[in-house]
Amino acid sequence: MPVEQIDTEALLNDLLRDFPSRTEKIREKKDSFLTDAVLLGEIPSPTFGEQERVRTVVDRFRENGLSNPGVDEFGNASAQLPGTEGQSSILIMAHADCVFSPEVRHEIQVGSDSMTGPGIADNALGLAAMISLPRLLKELGIELRDNLILVANCKSLGRANLEGAHGFLETMSQPVRAGICVEGSTLGRLSYSGLGTLRGEITLQVPSDYDWKRFGASGAISHLTGLINQIREIPIPKEPKTQLVFGGLKCGSSYNTSPRQGSLRFEITSEEDGIIGQMENQLNEICEQFSAETGTLVNMEVVAKRQNCGIPYTHPLVKTTRSIMQKAGITPQVDPSTGDLNALILGGLPAVTLGLTTVENLREINETIQLDPLYSGMCQLVTLIQAIDQGICEA
Amino acid sequence: MSMKENNWIDRNTFHHSDFWDLIKLVEEKEKKGLKISLCIPTLNEEKTIGKEVLILRSELMERYPLVDEFAVIDSGSEDKTLEVASNYGADVYLASDILPEVGNKRGKGENLWKAIHQLKGDIICYVDADISNIHPRFVYGLVAPLIHREEISYVKAFYDRPLNYSSGLRPSGGGRVTEILIRPLFSLFYPELSQIIQPLSGEYAARREVLEKIPFPIGYGVETSHLLDLYQLYGLETFAQTDLDRRVHRNQTTNALGKMSFGILQTFFNRLHTQGKLDRMPDLETFYRRFEVEDGNYRQLIQEVVEEERPPMIEIEGYRNRPDIS
Repeated sequence: MPVEQIDTEALLNDLLRDFPSRTEKIREKKDSFLTDAVLLGEIPSPTFGEQERVRTVVDRFRENGLSNPGVDEFGNASAQLPGTEGQSSILIMAHADCVFSPEVRHEIQVGSDSMTGPGIADNALGLAAMISLPRLLKELGIELRDNLILVANCKSLGRANLEGAHGFLETMSQPVRAGICVEGSTLGRLSYSGLGTLRGEITLQVPSDYDWKRFGASGAISHLTGLINQIREIPIPKEPKTQLVFGGLKCGSSYNTSPRQGSLRFEITSEEDGIIGQMENQLNEICEQFSAETGTLVNMEVVAKRQNCGIPYTHPLVKTTRSIMQKAGITPQVDPSTGDLNALILGGLPAVTLGLTTVENLREINETIQLDPLYSGMCQLVTLIQAIDQGICEA
Repeated sequence: MSMKENNWIDRNTFHHSDFWDLIKLVEEKEKKGLKISLCIPTLNEEKTIGKEVLILRSELMERYPLVDEFAVIDSGSEDKTLEVASNYGADVYLASDILPEVGNKRGKGENLWKAIHQLKGDIICYVDADISNIHPRFVYGLVAPLIHREEISYVKAFYDRPLNYSSGLRPSGGGRVTEILIRPLFSLFYPELSQIIQPLSGEYAARREVLEKIPFPIGYGVETSHLLDLYQLYGLETFAQTDLDRRVHRNQTTNALGKMSFGILQTFFNRLHTQGKLDRMPDLETFYRRFEVEDGNYRQLIQEVVEEERPPMIEIEGYRNRPDIS
């Protein structure tokens, strides 16, 4: 067995030996990050409207005495915990936006062993965990050699197409050893690849000069239904794995009036970028043909597009993460990401996404996180940071 | 309105953001050697107590050591209030276990009163347990004027940050009992006190030395009695008030508010009686005082409301002269 491998295993075993006691210590120190999860979760933070939540994150960075707290030109909050050597850095990212509009009442309820409220898991908890790291590391007596760069990235979800994460990475000047994306949901989540994705919106409009006497004339609802049926005829391969999801349909507002316009939101994900390109072309053709045949105006807009990317399952970062999970009794659920991880890996960084606790009703108003599993979820995060810092995750 | 009244509002009305610098506030507290106790009176508050204890303890005891002691004093909850509160680290007491020799009465005022004995602080801050948007400002906004200004002994909360409506004005946002009962009563009997924007708010902080000198109604009248008794003892200058922005809480039924008003009226008339205002009734004020807010400034509106009366019709000659009236 090579000497280098023995050292790596020994180092990891050393780290894992303390896992149960550290988990208990984190449980004792829970108040600070649970408080942040509630306070941040109660600030509405829709994509493109994250400013107030981001400001609060920067305040926390300042209060925690981090270096260079601030908001960059893309709206991301970031700060640094300087390492003892500081020759390299570890990047921790948590997205600051959530799927709920400001009109939704952002109230988090705190029970004995759970918390409930819109966006508490996705991603108020991830943000709070990221913010808490410097204090937790101090309380656990851990000093990192690397700098720890903490980022609350905005403009991550939906139409934003990871704009905040891409912007931060493009302007980041420091050498970074590895990255971790932190999500509240779900404990066991292990993403080390980004799935090729195309998100789009098709809008259909019945023009003002539409001939209502023509054969087959109808309102936008009937037309959209016909269009959806045609799209469903597109063959979807099982290998490479590919999926087409209709995620939203808006049309009409009454009982007795045919609407003149409507829209359909969809997402294509595939392990093969070429398949996504083919399906995009097919969708465009269907829209054009449908428009010509029905006399309606049909337009398809691609709002987000991501390439497939990833690091191998055998990469030391992934392998170490699996070992940590195994020690913690967490069953890894390998799940390709469509989120910020894509930006990190496409930016050339070895990176993974971790979830922190078990979650119910994800992305519903009554989104609920369980507190008991959270402490081992936090401990896996701290242990992985330490493992990266000690060079255990180098390829 | 007199110049004196105007000055009081300017000098003694604060906004919680005036005290955002908690590091400075803690330094000032320590310099003055003050100890601060926080008390949450509870009765079946399992839905909101966990969040209150978590956030207030974490922010104001661990992150910024502004509060030295934090107690939940319970009237005998039958839900999980006590379990949830102690899970998040609060010291939990049953009101019936405090000063058992004086017996046990059930009501919020009982818990507030017994807190004076149970807690050690020079300043006691009371926060209701039913606030669903709890934030550290609910405490630091109230104790800060007491830390900074020795002449102030009692700080009252008010809520709803003023928003400009299309008319440019909006009412002060007091509750229904405040607007329909308390403000008219204060306008009649204690015009100076009508400057307190939300006299019934359940959040206030006070110095021990004044709290120990006044009686506590155990029920709905406790907030009103505090104002009347301290006004009688120390005058308006002892009070201050802080805008805590929005407060989200349970809405009460009209029946419940009727019961509350009945309790408050008992307290009020007791005070009128002991202060000799019933036996030697002064000329009643004819000015009704309420608040409006414009561009973030609080302005008291004074309207003359004279309830003129007509005599019984039978006393009117023209009426008596009608042929069908004999």
